[in-house]
Order: sequence, then C-alpha cells, then structure tokens
Amino acid sequence: MTGETQPKLRVVVLGGGTAGWMTAAGLVRMLPGLCTVALIESQDIGIVGVGEATLPHIRGFVERLGIDEAAFMKATHATYKLGIDFRDFGRVGESYIHPFGTFGEDVGGIGFHHYWLELQRQGLAAELGTYSLAVAACRANRFAPPSEDSSLGSTYGYAYQFDATLFGPFMREFGTANGVTRHEGLVTEVERDPESGDVTALILKDGRRIEGELFVDCSGFRSLLLGQELEEAWDDWTHWLPCDRAAAMPCTHRTSDIRPYTIATAMPAGWRWQIPLQHRMGNGYVFSSAHIGEDEACEAIRNSAEGDPLADPRILKFRPGRRTKSWSHNVIGVGLASGFLEPLESTSIYLAQMAITYLIELFPTDGRIDPRDRDEFNRLVDMEYDRVRDFLILHYNATTRDDSDFWNHVRTMQVPDTLADKLELWKRTGRIEKYSEGLFYDVSWMAVYLGQGLLPEAHDSRVSLPDPQRVAGAMERLQREIDAHVAAMPGHVDYLTREAARLAQAA
Amino acid sequence: MSEARQRLRRICIAGAGQVGVIAALALRRALPDCEVVVLGLPGDPAAFADRAATALPTSNRLHDRLGVDEGLIVQKAAGSHRLVSRYFGWGEEGRSGAMPHGAQVDPKLRTRFASEWGGGERDGGKAAPGSLAEVLANAGRFAVPPGDRATPLDDIDYALRWNMQAYRDLLVGMAQQAGISYAQGQIAGLETDGAGGLAAIAVEGQGRIEAELFLDCSGPAARLLSALPGARRADWGAYLPVRRVLYGKPGQGMLALEDRFSLLPEGWLLEFAGVDGLQGSMGLGEGVAEDAALRALQAEPAEMVAVRPGAAAQAWVGNVVALGDAAATFEPLGHLNLDLAHRQLMLLLEMLPGAQIEPLERAEFNRRAALMAANVRDVLAMHYAAPRARAVFGEQPLPETLAHLLDQFTRRGRLPFREEGGLLNQEYTALLSALGFASGTTPQSLAQDPREADAARAAFEAQAQAALQFAPPYQQFMAQMLNPQPQGMAGDLQY
Repeated sequence: MTGETQPKLRVVVLGGGTAGWMTAAGLVRMLPGLCTVALIESQDIGIVGVGEATLPHIRGFVERLGIDEAAFMKATHATYKLGIDFRDFGRVGESYIHPFGTFGEDVGGIGFHHYWLELQRQGLAAELGTYSLAVAACRANRFAPPSEDSSLGSTYGYAYQFDATLFGPFMREFGTANGVTRHEGLVTEVERDPESGDVTALILKDGRRIEGELFVDCSGFRSLLLGQELEEAWDDWTHWLPCDRAAAMPCTHRTSDIRPYTIATAMPAGWRWQIPLQHRMGNGYVFSSAHIGEDEACEAIRNSAEGDPLADPRILKFRPGRRTKSWSHNVIGVGLASGFLEPLESTSIYLAQMAITYLIELFPTDGRIDPRDRDEFNRLVDMEYDRVRDFLILHYNATTRDDSDFWNHVRTMQVPDTLADKLELWKRTGRIEKYSEGLFYDVSWMAVYLGQGLLPEAHDSRVSLPDPQRVAGAMERLQREIDAHVAAMPGHVDYLTREAARLAQAA
Repeated sequence: MSEARQRLRRICIAGAGQVGVIAALALRRALPDCEVVVLGLPGDPAAFADRAATALPTSNRLHDRLGVDEGLIVQKAAGSHRLVSRYFGWGEEGRSGAMPHGAQVDPKLRTRFASEWGGGERDGGKAAPGSLAEVLANAGRFAVPPGDRATPLDDIDYALRWNMQAYRDLLVGMAQQAGISYAQGQIAGLETDGAGGLAAIAVEGQGRIEAELFLDCSGPAARLLSALPGARRADWGAYLPVRRVLYGKPGQGMLALEDRFSLLPEGWLLEFAGVDGLQGSMGLGEGVAEDAALRALQAEPAEMVAVRPGAAAQAWVGNVVALGDAAATFEPLGHLNLDLAHRQLMLLLEMLPGAQIEPLERAEFNRRAALMAANVRDVLAMHYAAPRARAVFGEQPLPETLAHLLDQFTRRGRLPFREEGGLLNQEYTALLSALGFASGTTPQSLAQDPREADAARAAFEAQAQAALQFAPPYQQFMAQMLNPQPQGMAGDLQY
C-alpha cells in the first residue's frame, strides 16, 4: 500500500485439473502484486474432472475473477441449478428436493418447519416443498435469477451444472491470459531444503527445474507433495462414507427440456446422479466397492441411465477423508490432494474454492510463511470438512432402507458424536444446532431431516397457540404466491437461450 | 407423528430489575396462557445489567418485538440516541477514535475481501473510523428514519439511552397490562426438584412460588442458579483488572449523539450523555486511591461498587436459566451489560423449552450463551490490552481466543469469524482501531487498484453529504419527538 516493493513470492501449482487452474487463476487475479504463478501439468495424466454440479458459492468466484457469466456458461455448456432432487434415500419411492433456498418464513421467532409440523399433525399441511419457491421452480422446470430486494423472489440462490472437463480448460485459458506460466511435463523429483524441509523446486522429466517459495499441491488423490513427499497423514472416513468409486457415463438428452436441478437416486450400493448439461446428460453411479463390483456397477448405470450412452462407463476411484494437515511446510493442498468427501451434495468444487479463499486471506505478505497463519488455515479447513462430513453422513444414516447390505450398514453404523448429538436434539425437539460458519446451515439440515422422513417426536410448544385454520390460510396464501411467481418465470431452456442470445449480441 | 410440546404453564422470574421485567414481558408475550410471576428481590448495586441506562442496537429489535415503543422511551423515559462511542487516549495520549453502531463505514477502509468474496460478516473486514454515524455525530445531526420511504439514513444504526428508573417503570406498566403477577419478599429457601433444578421458592411470610421454569435475574449473587449443585462459575478476574466502579452523581442534562470512554491514569472514565443528566463513572485500576479517583471523576461521587467479573459456566442448569448479572457480571465498559442480557433472552425465546426440558436443548443453549459471554469477555479484555491501558492497568493475560484475534488483526488485518459475536465485523474493526491497535495489511489490499478505492471513497463522500443534508440538527429532531405535531400535519413533516 505504501509503495514499498516486496519481491513477489513464486507460487508453483502442481496439477492442471479443476483445483489447479482455479487456484492459479484465483491467485494471479486476486494477488497480482504479491505473487507470480507457475502451473505444472502433464497431458499424460488424466484429470478426474469431478464436480459437474456445483454450489451457489461458485458464482462469487467466477464473478470476482471478472468473468461474464454467460460466456462462462457457454464455454462449459452449463445449465442453472436450483437444488438436488433426492430420490429413494429415506425410503424407496419417496423423494424430496434440497433447494438452494428457504421454506416459508419464520413467524414470531419460531422456525417455519415447526408450524408445518403442527399443521401436518392436523392433516392441514401440504408437502413441504410446496412452500419453497426454489423447489416449486425446480418442479416446473423454470428459472429466473433471484431478485435483490427482500421479497419472495429473493428467497433462493442458484449454482451451475457444467461439464467439469471443460471447466478446467476454461480456467486454464483465463489463467494463462492473466499471467500464469504453464509448464507441460511430469514431475520426477522434489527438491527440499535440507534444514527446513521446505520444498524448493520441482524437477521435470526433461530436466527443467521449477523453483518456488510456495507450492500448491493440486495433484489429485496421488497428492505428490503433501501425501507422498511430506507424508502428511490421511484421516480416512470410509467407515462413515463407504462410497469410494463412481462409474460415470455421459448420455444424450432424452427430451428437449432441461431440468434446473440435479437428481440423486439411491441405489442398492450407493446412489446415482443425473446432471443435465446443455449438450448432454451426465450420469454416474457412486458406489461402495465393498458392496458391489465394478462390472456390476457399470452394468447398473447402463441399465438405469437417462438418455443414450455417448461413451462406455468410466470408473473413478476416490477415498473419503482429509489430510490431518492441509498446509504443511510450504505446501498447501487444494482439492483432492487435501481431501474429498464424495460427490453427494456437490461439495468438491466448493471445498477447493474454500481453500483458495482462505489461502488468499492468509497469503504471506512479507515473503515468509508465519506458522500462525498455517495453523489458522488448517483450523479453518478442518472445520469446513468436518461440518460437511456430518451433513453427508446424515443422508445415508437417516433411512429406513433395509434392502441391501450397503443400506443396512449405513443405517446402523455408529455416527460421529457431533452428528449423534445433532440427531438427538432434532428428534427430541425439532431444533437444529446453529452455526454461521461453514457450509450447510439449519435450512439444509431441516430439508434433509424432513425429506428423508426423519420426523421429530416433538416441535415448538408455541405453534399450537394460533388458530390452526388461520395458520393454514396463511400457508395456502404463501403457496399461491409461490405458484404465481413460478408461473411468471421463464422456462429453464428459454432462459438459457435468451442468455445465449444476449451474449451473441454483446459479442 | 410430531406433537407440539406441552407448553410451560408457570414461570417464575426472580429479580425485578429491568432485566427481570423485560424477561417476564417477553415470556408472557411468547406464551400468553402461561402464568408469569415476578418475584421482586432487594436490588443489588453490582447488578450492572439492571442499572444500565443503555444497550446496543440489538435491543431495539427486542423492543420492536415486544411492542416497547421507542417513541415512548424518548418521551417518558428520557430516551436519546447514540450513534458512536468515542474513545480517548487508549492507543496513545491525545488520540481518539470512534466506534459507530452498525456497518455503514467508509468502504475505502474496508478490505476488498468483504465486498468481493461475498464474505459478508465472515469477511476479513477492516473498517477504521470514517463511518456515516461518525460524520453525523460530528455534525450533531440525526433523525430516526421514518421507515415508510427510502432515506439516506436508512442504514444508520443507533443505540438508545434512557433513564433506568423511568424505563423500568414503562416496562412494569406493560407487564401489569399483560397480566404478569408480582410478589415481593426475601427468599426463605429453595426447594429442589430432584432433577437438578428447582420445584419452588419459599418467600418469607408469603408461602411458596412453584414453577416449571425459573429465570434467575437476581444479579451477580445468582440466588437461584448458585444454589444448584450443577452450577459452576468461570472467573474472568485474571483477564479483567477492574474491581471497583465509581459512579458520579448525574450532572446537567445533555443532548449528544455520542458517549465517551477516556483513559486516565486512574482508570477509564465513561461520560454518559443522558438527557436527564451527564453521568460519569469510572473503572478504577488496582491500588488507585479513592481521593485520586474522585478528582479524576470531576463530579460529586454517588457510589462505589465492587465488581467481580465472571460468568456462569452454564447459564441454564436444571430448569433454572440465569440472565443478566446472574449469567455474566462485568464492568459497564462498552455498554455491553444489558446487550448481553437481551441477546441471551432472545436466545431463550428462540429455544423456548416445553414443560419438559430436554438435556440437549439445554446444552445447545448453554453452548451458544457461553459463546456470547466469552465474546463479551474478549471485547472487554481487548480494552485492557490497548497500548496505554496496559500502562494504567498493568499487563493482563489474554484469553486464547482474543490473542488469536489480535494476532490476526494486527499482523494480517483479518478478523477470525466468531460464532455469536454480538458486534459486527465493522464494529470490531472500528473499536480495535479506536483502542489503538494498528491493522495489519491484507494481501487483497496490497493488490487493490487505487482507482477502485478512490471510486468507493467518492461514493462514500456522496453518501455522507446526502445524510448530512437530510438529517436535521439532533436537537430539532428531539424537539419534534417530544412535542409531536398535530396529526393533520404529519404529512408535511420534513426532517
């Protein structure tokens, strides 16, 4: 700020997947005066390209980089996403939508769901989703951006469903245009300072030596730096989240309509996704290899996929868990190298973005890493992972399914204490532990609890005070308002077409 | 099938200070068919939440919710508005800084992070003086925005001051109207319920008061809570050095948009600008002689009060919930006493139990209430960690959470997120700056394009000008509040 010139920190990003290019683009764009960014990637290594579906936070990231939304969506064949439709999770044949939005309104400081529970007891309530604008829009296949006032039209957010194999390259193009130096090659050797143990340079197969002061490990599950070189321990969560494989199979669209939401359908040994993009339908079976073989899983996705296959199923392997430290020495893990939960609830791109955000916040400003900032980074990353973990486990544990070994396992397993307390508080009182930091807040918890049929035994004592007919009347008015609002929204495909036309005109 | 929980049928509130009365009113409003009994106990001068004549903006929200009319507070209880607290001499002698209420600060002084990464309250936000509130306080101009149309003052937040007796009378009147019953007397004994809580309070000469839920609003003695076997107290004495608070007699009435906290060699001095009188009070350092303190107070002394800072480790034990000084007692520095009491009351309203209390809801209340209290402790300790305060009060150890916050702020210009924080990030930042903590530089600000900052600065200037033009002199606004124009002219009223 005072014009003193600090030599720029040399950041080396290892890995050219989604996390790698997001990191490189974020750093070069947000901290241009503080660092130079080099990225090493190899065409010999495929990218996992996880996260076809995202969370609303991605919009802030794209926007801050100064990228036009329509251009970004065109390049990644993106569609809008208002939530996830979970099918067969709580019980076969039942479904619910977890929206990026609210349900009803709190009245008198009491959460909407308490009123809903009371009316439901009296047989006066409609299905919960009918009180959510985002859910209603999903069901009508309609989309419009939320309004910015505090009206009904502002009660939701949105994210994107995009082609993850195109998102990385899009960020690559953006990053290199903004000053990221790209090195093509395989890393064969890691040079470290004999005293501090810090990484000093990466040696490529052809002998090139890429030096740096800060290394970001985006090498995926191989975790070349954080895992292999620094041997940071991995906290394995397979016992809580047993899914460790996915069989992905892109298909054609079956109809001209495109849903503004993702479908997650529970399967005998996991669940499968249906993610509609502009040009195709993403399908995949996320499964537990302890409960089903790869061939069988591929067969299952072939049989259940929506649309005609565009390719054979491809198997992706992953491990749910996280490194005990995501920042060690001068190496920071972002993306799969640091941790992964599983694709349910589309958290993987968020978790990469979260780590990048904290890295920017805690980036060394005087040329050296302060251990206190490293500790703070690790504290924040751990908090985020642990809270998301409990929320994901809930999707499996809150079930009555007993039709397979997999569901028997997740239904009866011992959950983390932190989750056990949340569940018990919910069951006894219909209340949800309140946090304002982290990813999923009380509305999301409520959507999953109730969506999966986990009704509490009791709810707030005060909701039986007002005349039930009056409450029912107010709730019907809300439904009518929601219906009218949704009816005035353009269809999802219409909106996408309109945006594409706007982009073409601007160009 | 989920059933509505059995409603509480009978609640007893021990303590009839302003904390107990507003709690009774709030519970009665929440549960109109619940019998609410207030037991008036002899007042304790060290019940700082009960004697506070002000709170923070959150309390305005509580007033709204309970139907406590702000206009009435102004008219009947010597109410007035505070936009900023000004701090003199905490960082270094002769330097001052202002802490505004609310988040309307000069954007140039905020990091890019706040606005750009959608961080909102969780940002690494940094805001030095330079708020709209301070601009208005400096000019002595303000009006409460009318609410029915957009004005340049809409984003200004303010705290109310009042005359404590008159304010309490106002609440008592409302409580009576709401059908709350009142008993007065000495506690003769407490009957436990065999489940870690209370069954009844025996009142001298008046029999027993039974209830399903008891609120302990009895002040620092925590008459109910402290009698329960599960009650434990966290002592804050190691972090907070003040053991005596000296109150002066109120002087001449004042109409001002600010209160002042000055650091003197004898301790801190609060000059509280009440409409009913400017009142000085002092938090004294250890070993300061009384006559030296009296000279520093520059007013006639009224009262010396001992303070033993600390908080209940669990504010809710069995069926007893402590509020106010029974839950956390500390010196009246920063106007936090009643604010904390009101926020913990709002938490109780949010988590209002049924007749049968669930252990996990108690645990969740206690988790959040303890975070609220710990954040208050840290804000107080932050004052004593200010550069000059360390010379006046001596070096105190810092709570770990505060050490973390100060380290991140001074080295990096970053505020770690605090659950149940109470103050906005912008308020924290302004307070830190007013206390003389220099903010570290954020990586984002190093990378900021100066033109962007200039544009933001210009926008703020324009906002400030609009606010100044719109707001009348505060005296004029108050004259209108106190002598409202006849109905027919309301439409012509121009601030």
